[in-house]
Amino acid sequence: MRTHKVLTIARRDYVATVRTKAFLFGLVVAPILFGGGSIGMSMLKGGPDLKDRHVAIIDHTSLVAGALVSAAKEKNDQELFDKKTHQQIAPRYVFEVIAPAAGSSGQLLALSNRVRSRQLAAFLEIGKDVLQPPKDSGDADEAASEKTDPDTRVSYYTNAGGIDEMRTWLNGPIRDGVRLARLVRLGIDIQRNPGLSASVPIDGLSLLERDEKNGQVHEARKRNELEGFFVPFAVAMILAMIVMVGSAPMLQSVTQDKSLRIVETLLGAVTPLELMTGKVLGSVGVSVTSSLLYVIGGTVAVNALGIAGLLPLTIIPWFYAFLLTDLVMLCAFAAALGACCSTPQDAQNLAIVLLMPCLIPMFMLVTVLRQPNGMLATVLSLAPPFTPILMLLRQAMPSGVPAWQPWAGLAGVLVFAAGTVWAASRIFRVAILIQGKPPRLAEMVHWALRG
Amino acid sequence: MDAVQISHVTKTFGSVTAVNDLSLAVPQGSIYGFIGPNGSGKTTTMRMIVNIFYPDCGEIRLFGDGRPQNSADLIGYLPEERGLYQKMSVQALLEFYGELRSGRSVSAEVLSWLERLELAGRASAKVETLSKGMSQKVQFIATVIPEPRLLILDEPFSGLDPVSADAIRSAILDLRRRGVTVILSTHDMHLAESMCDYILMIFRGRKVLDGTLSSIQDQYGEDTIRVTTAGGLAALERLPGVEQVRDLGQVQELRLTRGADPQDVLRALVAGARVTSFSLVKPSLHDIFVRIAGAAAVEESHANA
Repeated sequence: MRTHKVLTIARRDYVATVRTKAFLFGLVVAPILFGGGSIGMSMLKGGPDLKDRHVAIIDHTSLVAGALVSAAKEKNDQELFDKKTHQQIAPRYVFEVIAPAAGSSGQLLALSNRVRSRQLAAFLEIGKDVLQPPKDSGDADEAASEKTDPDTRVSYYTNAGGIDEMRTWLNGPIRDGVRLARLVRLGIDIQRNPGLSASVPIDGLSLLERDEKNGQVHEARKRNELEGFFVPFAVAMILAMIVMVGSAPMLQSVTQDKSLRIVETLLGAVTPLELMTGKVLGSVGVSVTSSLLYVIGGTVAVNALGIAGLLPLTIIPWFYAFLLTDLVMLCAFAAALGACCSTPQDAQNLAIVLLMPCLIPMFMLVTVLRQPNGMLATVLSLAPPFTPILMLLRQAMPSGVPAWQPWAGLAGVLVFAAGTVWAASRIFRVAILIQGKPPRLAEMVHWALRG
Repeated sequence: MDAVQISHVTKTFGSVTAVNDLSLAVPQGSIYGFIGPNGSGKTTTMRMIVNIFYPDCGEIRLFGDGRPQNSADLIGYLPEERGLYQKMSVQALLEFYGELRSGRSVSAEVLSWLERLELAGRASAKVETLSKGMSQKVQFIATVIPEPRLLILDEPFSGLDPVSADAIRSAILDLRRRGVTVILSTHDMHLAESMCDYILMIFRGRKVLDGTLSSIQDQYGEDTIRVTTAGGLAALERLPGVEQVRDLGQVQELRLTRGADPQDVLRALVAGARVTSFSLVKPSLHDIFVRIAGAAAVEESHANA
């Protein structure tokens, strides 16, 4: 392979791309879209809906509702106002205790209609036997029947959609209320023991570390929820975004060169492998340029926001190792697919196939975030097409990964990328001069194996 | 030393044999014309010389021992299906192609060629703003930079207006004078006759003619009469010893049957009409092409000329 020819092709493609308005527009718009979502989320988080939440309670025990309201008031009082600014930061819960009516379903329907007409946010029905502690009989059937018996349960009725924060909020007061009512029933005077239902705060802390230079042990620091979720998610998403934005245009570019009859002129001067390698390098160069801007911009941003400590800097070399290998792999794949297309329409139809190695791991992000070191997450992150995104996601999490896994993953990706480039170059060489109907998958496999 | 030596080359695509046992020697500094109906194997042969296709069997050598894969930088190739990067400026595009082939800056050559083909004023214009004729000139310049030793031009004149065609013809002849070997394919028999030192005709993948125009014509002998009569085409009916009459408008061309005596034909003509001109000539390349490929191929050829 003649290096100067490869570099000449790469330089032309690089310059042609970075000078386009689409590239400059994408460079600005992509972070705005990505960052805008986060800013929008934080803005919404900073300004929650502070309207009162009216909740009705039908109490078949006559004891729990009072204790529940008392526990809720205690929780509400603690959270309602910011301790420094004294501004309201959480909604107030207002309860309406309703005596159970004889025709139970009619009463439930009436309350449901009040929820529909937004007079109420939700209503609770406390079963008459909730004060009976669950039996520990060891009989599985009996335990199961108790679990499904509405009299032993609290029913929560609402039409709230999406993530129902109200239910999460009410969980604590309901449990505290039931427990306080049980204590009252046992004859304990809760008025004289007001702290009985007080909740105990839990601090989330990081692990302690020893400084390798001076041997000092660094104290644990408070963990931010961003650290466990947002940072890994953002790192994986940035990688996926750069790879998708970098590789997808290659498909169009090769198809365009082919449909505009530019390819044969180029093949008079370079071999198909040199042409493909040059185009892949040019595309990788474009992506590295945009990624550098994103990484530098991101680093400046997290420093300015004072959350630089959340970004594990050791991840950056891995980020680039996986970015480059993933880009080479997908750009070569895109070149082969582009060579098989005769029109931009054909290329558009194949774009989804090209993006599968990015889309599948993105669908798996939540699963991996939940159990980053589970069997499924480990196996998926060691599958070469998915390794770059999923391994990086796991590495960016506070729990980290065993030291051997990123190296094993990278080795797998390198081997897979080399195989992809080899097969793609064989498909490219045959397909690039064929016009008309795109080849079938079997033909592409045949070209890859037999040339 | 021959610029191109092709020995028993065969190329198949699936069940179709595009080139069948082709052998050919292209002398250095000559213009070699490839003719033949569409799909006869001209472009496939050219692509094998440029190393875009590999022969299934046989061998191609360039300038003595060089194999096509090692001699790409010696070749300038203008494909039949050609396109250019539309968003690049003319000068940047030509510098790209020149640098791609030579590995060095070719700015001076680019300016010189633009000047020569009267495109200097459009050097900074984007390719998409050029007329078709201008684009084809740019494509030609991209092929000849930076002075390859072997030029392979697939239908270099197709679609060109007469002025642009003359400019490119003149440039090709000038390159030949400077020692460049030229292989070109064409459907224009008159152009092949007037411009090429050697002519190769491929038909259904096989070589059917190869040599200088006169040597090819010698194979057929002087079996053609060009005649003009006062009676026009009607006077040429039912002449003895004539197997085909071709009306060229002002002149008619008669092909004699094997062994026919031209004097008998002249006597029969004079007996029936006033003859204003009569000449015995070798068959034209067009006529030879028709005899080999048939009328359908000629019509196709005219449509593409």
